[in-house]
Amino acid sequence: MIRTLTASLAMTTALTLPAAAQDRAAVLETYADIAEAAYGDSLSTAQDLATAIEALLADPSDRTLAEARAAWIRARVPYQQTEAFRFGNPIVDDWEGKVNAWPLDEGLIDYVDATYGGATDENAYAALNVVANPTFTLSGEEIDAAEITPELISDRLHEADEVEANVASGYHAIEFLLWGQDLNGVEHGAGDRPYTDYAQGDDCTNGNCDRRAAYLTAATDLLISDLEWMTRQWAEGGDARMAVTSDEAAGLTAMLTGMGSLSYGEQAGERMKLGVMLNDPEEEHDCFSDNTHNSHFYDGLGIHNVYFGQYVGVDGTVINGPSLSELVAAADPEVDAALQADLNATMVKLGQLKAAAEGGFSYDQMLARGDEGGEAIIMAAVDALVQQTRSIERAVTALELDRIGFEGSDSLDNPNAVFQ
Amino acid sequence: MIRPLVLLLCLASPLQAGVREAVEDHALPAFAGFTAGAQALADTAAQDCTAEAVRPAFHAAFDAWLGASHLSFGPVEQQGRNLAIAFWPDTRGMVPAALARLIADADAAIDDPAAFAEVSVAARGLFALEHLLYDPAYKGYAEGSYTCRLVAATATDLARMAAEVETEWRETEAPLLLDPAGSADRRYLSEKEVQQQFYTALQAALEFDADTRIARPLGTFDRPRPTRAEARRSGRSLRNVTLSLEALRDLARALSDQPIPVTEAAFATALETAADLDDPVFAGVEDPAGRLKVEILQQRIDAVAAAVAGEIGDQLGVTEGFNSADGD
Repeated sequence: MIRTLTASLAMTTALTLPAAAQDRAAVLETYADIAEAAYGDSLSTAQDLATAIEALLADPSDRTLAEARAAWIRARVPYQQTEAFRFGNPIVDDWEGKVNAWPLDEGLIDYVDATYGGATDENAYAALNVVANPTFTLSGEEIDAAEITPELISDRLHEADEVEANVASGYHAIEFLLWGQDLNGVEHGAGDRPYTDYAQGDDCTNGNCDRRAAYLTAATDLLISDLEWMTRQWAEGGDARMAVTSDEAAGLTAMLTGMGSLSYGEQAGERMKLGVMLNDPEEEHDCFSDNTHNSHFYDGLGIHNVYFGQYVGVDGTVINGPSLSELVAAADPEVDAALQADLNATMVKLGQLKAAAEGGFSYDQMLARGDEGGEAIIMAAVDALVQQTRSIERAVTALELDRIGFEGSDSLDNPNAVFQ
Repeated sequence: MIRPLVLLLCLASPLQAGVREAVEDHALPAFAGFTAGAQALADTAAQDCTAEAVRPAFHAAFDAWLGASHLSFGPVEQQGRNLAIAFWPDTRGMVPAALARLIADADAAIDDPAAFAEVSVAARGLFALEHLLYDPAYKGYAEGSYTCRLVAATATDLARMAAEVETEWRETEAPLLLDPAGSADRRYLSEKEVQQQFYTALQAALEFDADTRIARPLGTFDRPRPTRAEARRSGRSLRNVTLSLEALRDLARALSDQPIPVTEAAFATALETAADLDDPVFAGVEDPAGRLKVEILQQRIDAVAAAVAGEIGDQLGVTEGFNSADGD
């Protein structure tokens, strides 16, 4: 009934005002354009990372290692902004684990400190150490890992034994290989892997530098091919773009679902509040590099981008088009004003968190037991994210998308099944 | 007799179907029950903190929590209390690690309730207590030992949180939910949003039963995961599902002001399936026949969720909002 009404209103106003359907299509074009640009930037910065890693491996030194680390941190800036596309789009969500899975049992990949422990109840391969072992048994199968290739990582090691913590690929595997474990607990300081872990011959520290270098190269190649694939999905004619543009209600729902699920369950809950409640420095998203404040900040900005229809690329190119905000404002100006205010408030809180971390009060220090200042900084951002989630729900209602149901709500896939 | 009163109330403040019942007949008694259970647990552990003495009160408190745990918004969400009361699933083995660290350090936080309230949630709440009372690693801990005192401190901490939650429900949450527009707290802009909050809690809890409590031990056919069953050490995995379903049926009834025959039938079938399942910790997931029975229970719960969506969601004109389990 509502749909018919909308349609007839659209027809009667079509001569004087842009039709609602055209607005929606344009908003979805902007959304897909932002995704294409942000994944494209993720790809180009990953290629820069690969160049820096080649330089590190060709001539290991403090300088080349520092440059590779800096390239990794730059690569995170566009990628984190793409996370707002994850939960609403199955094509992204099904793929995401390959590039950004976290947390990880890093002992799967390389040597770890004695305090790390070994295999756990949850993960028999938590301390497998592929770098040190050219052959090993995985779920009863003998694996030949003499040559470390992208295929070995993606097909054999990643999520080995169906354990999600067996993260063999993606940004965090590379992060671990560049920084090593952060053994500073809730004290200031990131991982401190020596560049000599990549020195060949007698200078090699911690053994197997050739295999470690091979792993780092293969993992980086894999990241690039995964990002190439996702960028194509959002290009003209790509599946991800088609999925959101071919069904407008589904596309708008994907936008709002991605915003809400990332804001609440994922970022406010899993990534931020849980760490505070556990007082565990391992519970920071970029735990090896201590880059967590940026990870959170750019996640927040990604949500902001989706709503405002704007993205500033790594080379300064700006994507700017008809926005979800304008659509919501046309439906209910108050809901739009509140959501705009909430998203901006969140960016202020995340900006304060980033400022504190960059000023020297690192994210792991904020997690220390009884550190009320750190807890207050993190929880202020959590509260802002929870608040914006409520406004996102109101936007769903304002756009009359609330009969569709959110991704992850399996029960809503076919609510009338029981009546048939 | 009640009806004219409700009508009058409706005129004064147009409260929509079920919110008053959900608050007064469902939520407030549930949190009062949890407070009573947690306080009895704390009293017992203060008298005798050995495992044999504490276990019955532990079960009673856990039972009471399952009556209320699905109401995960408001006071329970504040200060991360839901995590501090029941930290599960523990996908990275943080409960045993955090407990081992406290015990190895003989951390003095257990002697100061305010300090203990700052300890990692992995070392607090019902699941830390379950490890201490049931895991072989702590078997036979002596009266007067650090472990024994840790049990007592954990029970006291739980009772404190239960009492805080109950007080906040009575004093701030219930008034807010019953009169959202008249409240200074602008969390809910209309009664409809309150209905949606309860409805979301109901659906999210059904999903948690099917997709976490049951799906985790199920794992995959090739790789079942019986050690991932919730509270398996204390033999409560199936019991938790059953008590959760009973609490959710109570909420469904409260929330709806019309007959809900499809939902009632779906709950009845799910609860019968649970009652017939002779597998208290879902150990049967490793055997094809046993696995099928657990999968059937999971399907019955999915059917409840579908019934609730088609019947109660439709009646109230609401769909599920975001919940804290969205995401990974």
